[in-house]
Amino acid sequence: MSWAAHDLEPYAIQKHTGLKLAFVPLLIGSYSPDMMTKWFVYGIHLGPWDLKASDPAQFHRGWPGFGFTHSFIYGVAVGLIIWKVFGSKLWGVSFIVGQAAHAITDTGDTVGTMLLFPWTFHFHLDAWAYAGQTGRFTDAAAYFSGLGSMWDAVWIVYGLYSWRVLTSAYFDNYIFRADAFWPWLNRTIPRGALLTLYRAAFFYGTSRWIAWTIWAHVIHHYPYDLSWGGPHWVPAAHP
Amino acid sequence: MRLRLSFDVPNRRDLRVFGGYCLAAAVYIAIGVTWVDFLFSFWVGLAYLVIVAWLVPTLVRRLV
Repeated sequence: MSWAAHDLEPYAIQKHTGLKLAFVPLLIGSYSPDMMTKWFVYGIHLGPWDLKASDPAQFHRGWPGFGFTHSFIYGVAVGLIIWKVFGSKLWGVSFIVGQAAHAITDTGDTVGTMLLFPWTFHFHLDAWAYAGQTGRFTDAAAYFSGLGSMWDAVWIVYGLYSWRVLTSAYFDNYIFRADAFWPWLNRTIPRGALLTLYRAAFFYGTSRWIAWTIWAHVIHHYPYDLSWGGPHWVPAAHP
Repeated sequence: MRLRLSFDVPNRRDLRVFGGYCLAAAVYIAIGVTWVDFLFSFWVGLAYLVIVAWLVPTLVRRLV
């Protein structure tokens, strides 16, 4: 899984598509595969109950399980529903692109994704360890010690290199103009606040990348292991 | 023929805005490293940014 790439990729995609895609559904699409499942992967405490998947990797990426949320067919199905329900082809297509970006990015880890579901083959590059089954803190420590965090860093650097995509002028000329959702919001929310909302995912992805890196390597001294499939000090899950 | 490299350089106003966000990020990171639960929710990050980067500056501008 990725921790910051899903926040940052939509800005890079938006930069190259301009008015052809809408940012909000692109971001929702990018978040969508994990929206309903991540809490159950890591587990939560609800009063006396501990709720957690018995096999988190299988639940998150497999079949039987919710692995179909990381497939192209899921993105297309939800995108078509959005198109029909909201009557917006732009929103439907933007969702599909964002969801596909997430599904493809997650092929980078050792579990990978069933991109071509219902074919249950897992596409996986094995570049970094999938460690969701170890709990969110060990997963964070492992992720920010391996190539996954370097992949996130690529998106941060690319975002900063493409800094104009975060400017007020870009927001006015592309983001606001491309999607009627923003003028609708602007009836109740001032434009300055909308600009801040637009920048939020980039801020969130970049800031927490830095924070988790400090937490893992300055506070807790987890060792970096940038070898392929690392870090090897954590037990990686496989399909 | 001479080739000249040109860089898209931010102006003073762009840098001032960027500096404000960097300051907001530094505080967010400090809170997050101290209390990591703060880092888990996108909605917490969004609310924090709206308060720090828009609401507070807007209120200060109105008061000054």
